[in-house]
Amino acid sequence: MSAASDPLLDVRGLSLDFGSPRGRIHALRNVSLEVGAGRVVGIVGESGCGKSTLAYSIIGLLAANAEVVGGEIVFSGRNLIGLPDSEMRALRGREMSMIFQDPMTALNPVQTIGAQMLAIQYRDAVPTREKRRRAVEMLAKVGIPDPESRLKAYPHQFSGGMRQRICIAMALLVNPSLIIADEPTTALDATLEVQIVELLKDLQKDMGCSILFVSHHLGTVAELCDDVVVMYAGEVVERGSVRDIFHAPSHPYTEALLECDPGRIRQKTRELPTIPGDVPNLIDVPDGCIFRSRCPKAFDRCAREAPAPRRVSGGHEASCHLLDELAEAAP
Amino acid sequence: MTTPLLKVDDLRVRFRTMGPLKALAKGVPDPYIDAVCGVSFDISEGETLGLVGESGSGKSTIARAIMGLVPAESGSVSFAGTDLTALSPRRFAPYRRDMAMMFQDPVGSLSPRLTVRSLITEPFRIHGTGDRDLDQEARRLLKMVGLNEDFARRFPHQLSGGQARRVGVARALALNPKLIIADEPTAGLDVSVQGEILNLFARLQDELGLAILIITHNLNVVRHITDRMAIMYLGRFVEQGPTEEVFYTPRHPYTEALLSANPEPDPDAVLDRIAISGEVPSLMNRPSGCEFHTRCLYAQGKCRTEAPVLTEAGESHSFTCHYPLTTAHTGRTKAAS
Repeated sequence: MSAASDPLLDVRGLSLDFGSPRGRIHALRNVSLEVGAGRVVGIVGESGCGKSTLAYSIIGLLAANAEVVGGEIVFSGRNLIGLPDSEMRALRGREMSMIFQDPMTALNPVQTIGAQMLAIQYRDAVPTREKRRRAVEMLAKVGIPDPESRLKAYPHQFSGGMRQRICIAMALLVNPSLIIADEPTTALDATLEVQIVELLKDLQKDMGCSILFVSHHLGTVAELCDDVVVMYAGEVVERGSVRDIFHAPSHPYTEALLECDPGRIRQKTRELPTIPGDVPNLIDVPDGCIFRSRCPKAFDRCAREAPAPRRVSGGHEASCHLLDELAEAAP
Repeated sequence: MTTPLLKVDDLRVRFRTMGPLKALAKGVPDPYIDAVCGVSFDISEGETLGLVGESGSGKSTIARAIMGLVPAESGSVSFAGTDLTALSPRRFAPYRRDMAMMFQDPVGSLSPRLTVRSLITEPFRIHGTGDRDLDQEARRLLKMVGLNEDFARRFPHQLSGGQARRVGVARALALNPKLIIADEPTAGLDVSVQGEILNLFARLQDELGLAILIITHNLNVVRHITDRMAIMYLGRFVEQGPTEEVFYTPRHPYTEALLSANPEPDPDAVLDRIAISGEVPSLMNRPSGCEFHTRCLYAQGKCRTEAPVLTEAGESHSFTCHYPLTTAHTGRTKAAS
């Protein structure tokens, strides 16, 4: 687990609303997570669970109708909530950078790769020659063949996998202490996905930065991450080390999610497991446990009271009343 | 087994890369790319075939060629004994009742300005059977795909990805087709919703005896719901066979690589990965010999110069490779799983 010293990123009790014509959508509710220095933390959950919202709130790229209503985001000892725009800008692209989901649209189509890779270093007071050298070096590091001449190429001259490598190179170029990767492999084919995950793994070891890896793909998370945070409908339901989560899931949602992954099912079946029911409405958030309506193990207490995070072991926490019951049963 | 429902024989689809004038000016003798090159397969009633490959391998082009949405250069597509490639568009139309296509993007393939009711009853109007009670038909179809009647009044933007996919399935089922072609039916859906859609396919197949052609890049999907699978690379089948057999004893190195590129949801899984490097070559510039040799781990001299021929590896299992994997090779893949 992470060192006893302060983590690089510490999100504490973050709550965030989006204004909408139908009412306020409580997109994140009391979300806490930590990213230690040099750790790779995965956020998993299904669409609409708030994992991307969380990532965007950390790097400060939320839409104008978003409002933080509680909690704090502490990054290297500074609270990012309420930080003036100028200071946030100074942080972004220097200490923190981001890899976006779709490499096809993340790059500017009318500028060469070289121009974009130099532009991202605009804060460094070094000669252009040096910036160019760094760009070439980084492109070589992410496995772009013949990087020197490729600087003159435009994004459309690269394939999807190559473009994602370029995006990764750009994110790393500023030597950040935290990289936020929002589903970086979703738009890629399986064989490329594997290559990108391997690349991220190697570069992370090499450069020692922390990565916050947002994904709905359990296989990639299992492979890349040290710690995992499981989100459901705007809440963190479970967090722990990757082995805790995948080998000893303690929240019924995590269990159900793992069960649904067809990659886990060894025996050929025509009837795949599902999670019956729908995600609750986040405008009128129901009382009690958020997963109650779809939980096969729900009992009366789940309707009355929202479960607080409970420690399962070491750094493994889950928000479920069943853990209390278990603790009582085994004195 | 009688004649298969759909029989595709040596199908070729070409696309022009530039106009004739430009080709002449540039001195390009053959301004075409072969998106699909000599593909043969068949599907019987009640059978599911999975078509697997990376982007650009020609999977969707095959689907479009079967539906007559792109012309075939050569080869034939026969449906219940009739060669569809020879038909005029007018004569083709009735066959589209028996073959339904589900397009890739669940929300994008629905018109944003039509209600779900109009969307799922549109096939009746197009095929001139709009005189029946459309409200009743809409209810029947919604029930079939497990959606509440209230959905009839909704617009596509009011649907989640999974619900939109169900509407797509209802549309495809409207005219009681015999064959459904599903292009990436679960791409972009969450795992729990993906399970629901695939279970729906399985149930409908049991009830209606449908033949299904599923196009996907997700091997986990193929494994559970298809009877047979075909692996595509650069517009050709590199391996085709019963799903279980291909999973346990892949013969083509590309199949093996695809199978091992499927990350296990287990941090302690044995990572005995057969990683292939590089990306799919361009169709404009096909490699010589075996087209996979540029990325193949086992490529030898012969692979660079000589294209392998189709080899049978038992009943209905075939592959194209000079040095196919033996059980010794596949032992490694098995150990990992």
